[in-house]
Amino acid sequence: MPLFTKARSFLRNIFSPHRGEADLDREVQSYLRLLTDENIRAGMPPTEAQCAARIELGGTEQVKEQVREQQIGNWLRSVLSDFRFGFRQLRKNPGFTAVAVLTLALGIAVNATMFSLVSAFMLRHPPGRNPKRVAVVTSINPGNGFLPDANPVSIPNFLAWREANQVFADTAAADQYRSVNFTPVSQSTAGQPQAIRSAAVSPNYFSVLGVSPELGRTFNDEEIQPGRNRVVILSHELWERQFASDASLIGRAIRLNRENYTVIGVMPSRFHLTGFTPQLWTPLEVTAANQTANARKDRSLLLFARLKPGVTIEQARAEFSALARRAEQDFPEIEKGWGAAVRTFPDFLLYNFGIRNGLAVVMTTVAFVLLIACANVAGLLLARAAGRRKELAIRLALGAGGLRIIRQLLTENLLIAFLGGALGLLLAYWGIAFVRANMNFNEAMSAVPLSLDSNVLLFALAASTLCALLCGLAPALNASRTDVNNNLKEEGRSSSSSHSHSRLRTTMVTCQIAVALFLLVGTGLLFRGIFMIEHQNLGFRADHLLTANVVLDDARYKDASQQSLFVRSLIPQLAQLPGVEAASATSDLPAAGPGTVTFRVQGQPEVPANQQLSASDNVVTTDFFRTAGIPLLRGRAFTEQDTPLAPRVIVVNQEFVNRHFHDQNPLGKQIQLNVSGTASQWSEIVGVVGNVKTYSEGIIDDPQVYEPFLQRPISSFSLMLRTGSDPSALASPLRTAVAQLDAELPLANVMSMSALIDRQKGGNPFFVRLLASFAFLALILAGIGVYGLIAYSVGQRTHEIAIRMALGAKRPDVLRMILRDGMKMTAIGAAVGLALALPLPRVFDAIFYGLHLREPRLYFLVPMTILVVALLATYIPARRASRVDPMSALHQD
Amino acid sequence: MGSEPTTLLQGTLDLLILKSLVAAEMHGLGISRRIQLITGGTFVVKPGSLFPALHRMEEEGWISSYWGDSENNRRAKFYRLTKPGRKQLEAETKRWGRISLAIAQALQAS
Repeated sequence: MPLFTKARSFLRNIFSPHRGEADLDREVQSYLRLLTDENIRAGMPPTEAQCAARIELGGTEQVKEQVREQQIGNWLRSVLSDFRFGFRQLRKNPGFTAVAVLTLALGIAVNATMFSLVSAFMLRHPPGRNPKRVAVVTSINPGNGFLPDANPVSIPNFLAWREANQVFADTAAADQYRSVNFTPVSQSTAGQPQAIRSAAVSPNYFSVLGVSPELGRTFNDEEIQPGRNRVVILSHELWERQFASDASLIGRAIRLNRENYTVIGVMPSRFHLTGFTPQLWTPLEVTAANQTANARKDRSLLLFARLKPGVTIEQARAEFSALARRAEQDFPEIEKGWGAAVRTFPDFLLYNFGIRNGLAVVMTTVAFVLLIACANVAGLLLARAAGRRKELAIRLALGAGGLRIIRQLLTENLLIAFLGGALGLLLAYWGIAFVRANMNFNEAMSAVPLSLDSNVLLFALAASTLCALLCGLAPALNASRTDVNNNLKEEGRSSSSSHSHSRLRTTMVTCQIAVALFLLVGTGLLFRGIFMIEHQNLGFRADHLLTANVVLDDARYKDASQQSLFVRSLIPQLAQLPGVEAASATSDLPAAGPGTVTFRVQGQPEVPANQQLSASDNVVTTDFFRTAGIPLLRGRAFTEQDTPLAPRVIVVNQEFVNRHFHDQNPLGKQIQLNVSGTASQWSEIVGVVGNVKTYSEGIIDDPQVYEPFLQRPISSFSLMLRTGSDPSALASPLRTAVAQLDAELPLANVMSMSALIDRQKGGNPFFVRLLASFAFLALILAGIGVYGLIAYSVGQRTHEIAIRMALGAKRPDVLRMILRDGMKMTAIGAAVGLALALPLPRVFDAIFYGLHLREPRLYFLVPMTILVVALLATYIPARRASRVDPMSALHQD
Repeated sequence: MGSEPTTLLQGTLDLLILKSLVAAEMHGLGISRRIQLITGGTFVVKPGSLFPALHRMEEEGWISSYWGDSENNRRAKFYRLTKPGRKQLEAETKRWGRISLAIAQALQAS
């Protein structure tokens, strides 16, 4: 059996080559002896016979090598021998190996760490069956805003589009941003009411996504009707945390929104949607009230649908554009300008999380860092290659093929790269743990599973291989073109053949410097932008404020009078708590993104519905401005006299006055506000207050309107308590005071105003610091690159320097000469980097809207820093050069 | 003139080696000399081609080797044909016949 014999030979060649080697050697020697005998028999004298035999053989080693080359398994054997040789080489030069491996490890570590983010966000499959065939439909908001084409859809549109479309086999809807009051009921625990994130979904939601519950069942079609819809499905995390994974919970009731809801199912733990964190699901109720024309303004649903077989996402997109246009025609006042967007489920999750651009910036930065690291290692390899010229020349002379040499050099580089990759993965493990610990800005981020998974491993492997190729290609190509003759000659300190080497290395170092400068300027701008935003005056006093969110649910607070009563009872109680200087309620906390309202100024011409003036709108209690520390500029704030029966009043901010009244006195002017859900009424301006930023991250001042709570009660608002001491000390008294009025009413997000503002900043400070550290890493690596190059060239030029000194050059002259070379290289690199960094401010203008970042100081500071680093890196070897003793250097060879 | 069998005619060298081993078992030098003899001096196989071929054919299983004594009592590695080797020789001989016939035909055509 030929296969069997071949396999046997293969294994024997790999694992016990020595026996075969000995045998082959004996065979060749025996051949020589027989040939010599033959020649002697033919009459040649013995020595000549042996000589002739050797000539006819043609070289023992060559023959043996030719036999080896076509043995089965030779390729593997030569690869293994390359690896063994490479290992020996690395061990013999521990300094070089350590620097190269560490440099690559740093580059690969930062890349792998950041890639774990890419893996967690972009490479995770959403749960369910075949998620790419699930489409998500959203509305396109004609106004500006965050993610304008991921706006929810209204219920009437959902119902209409579900019937009208031809592209979906089944359409479900989900209101993903709800909140319920949950009162734990048990004997042992105190049972503090909590506000829990929830989602209301149509019955086919889970089947459209293709997820089955771990326990129990999902909603059936009857359960969306009022009266049958007090059922709930729990998330795995809630079931574990609150109910200790009690399997008998199915069929039992829990208390939500003051009513008993029956638990019918529990979802599996892997049912996570990136960016959405509902803890439980209730049926989406659809009543007649949800289907009126007015209900179109209330957009709250995301539509999830499964594409029919054979239908593409583009077809779905076209269909829904048409459906949206038809809605525009049918209901022009409400739907004007609104469109419909269709995305695949994975795309939507990624888009909705809004992190793609940030990830792109981060990955580009670390890619640059890796390139700089590779350039350093390539420089090291080139330097070492120059020192091995003799060795390579000998090997070429002995008959090694150029390809074989390239392969062997690449193997060495692969060894370095994989060692660097392995060390880099170890560093990345800690790096990922660090990032995960610090990435807990909000629930959605903390829920992201960040780990060193198989994607990251594969990425590190690919990066290592790429590094090996990048670093090793130049020296390998150079090596195979080695001029054998010249290199074997005794050449002393000739540097002629290293010209191409040094040009290549100089170019690489110049590029490193340029990239480092570019990265530093970029992060410097980012830092400055974030700093300016963080330290701007928000317009109110954010210190010593405790805040909490309250949602008055329909069960007990359906009427405006009930809401009013609650607030009128609560606020005075809060104001009397020890330590409280002032207490108030507001529809939205200052600089936390209020609602908007359109309005008309009396005396100004009427405008069509979609061009009306708008302003942000806050509903506040009487003590609000004092609690928040917003200065009153003119007129008065609200009082107890501003009741529903009294004339309607509003307070506006200075920006409102600037925009709409210019120099006139705004007090006494009448404004008609259009608030959805109520009739438009005319209100009189009674006061002007200072501007408050709309968002803590915002820069521009917007016009703002404040309404008194008593005249327009709302059910969802925030409480603010100003205290002289630590705000968190008031948390407990606050809860008690609220519980006294209503034991089942939960308080959400009880935190100090400063903590809230920090949370609003999200990940920006963390990411910018991360980027800055990468930029500094790049600078350090570039500095090392400069040092390496100058040190090496000094070493090469010792002979030349010695001659110069013998001819009369002094130490300072030599120092200046070396420094000049180094700084020339740095200056060119810095100039290139500056040119590349010039368009950056315009790029950042788009990110920091309104900030208009112009930092000429940065364009001076960063190049200076780089020059200083390069100066240091050049000075050290230069000093060594100036210390050269001409006599001993000239005698050395 | 002696011409070296090139790698293009690797199959030819194999054929010659197999053929030369039909008569008797031989060591490497002997095989080389026999090929020289039976081709009337046309093919002189150098060790650089012979040894790789012998080892390859041994790995294929067409020949097998053993250490023995030569005519002058020198230790030498001898090769012998195996049964699969004989079959290979038959097949290759037939094939060579077909090829040479075809080429002869082609050269005769106008």
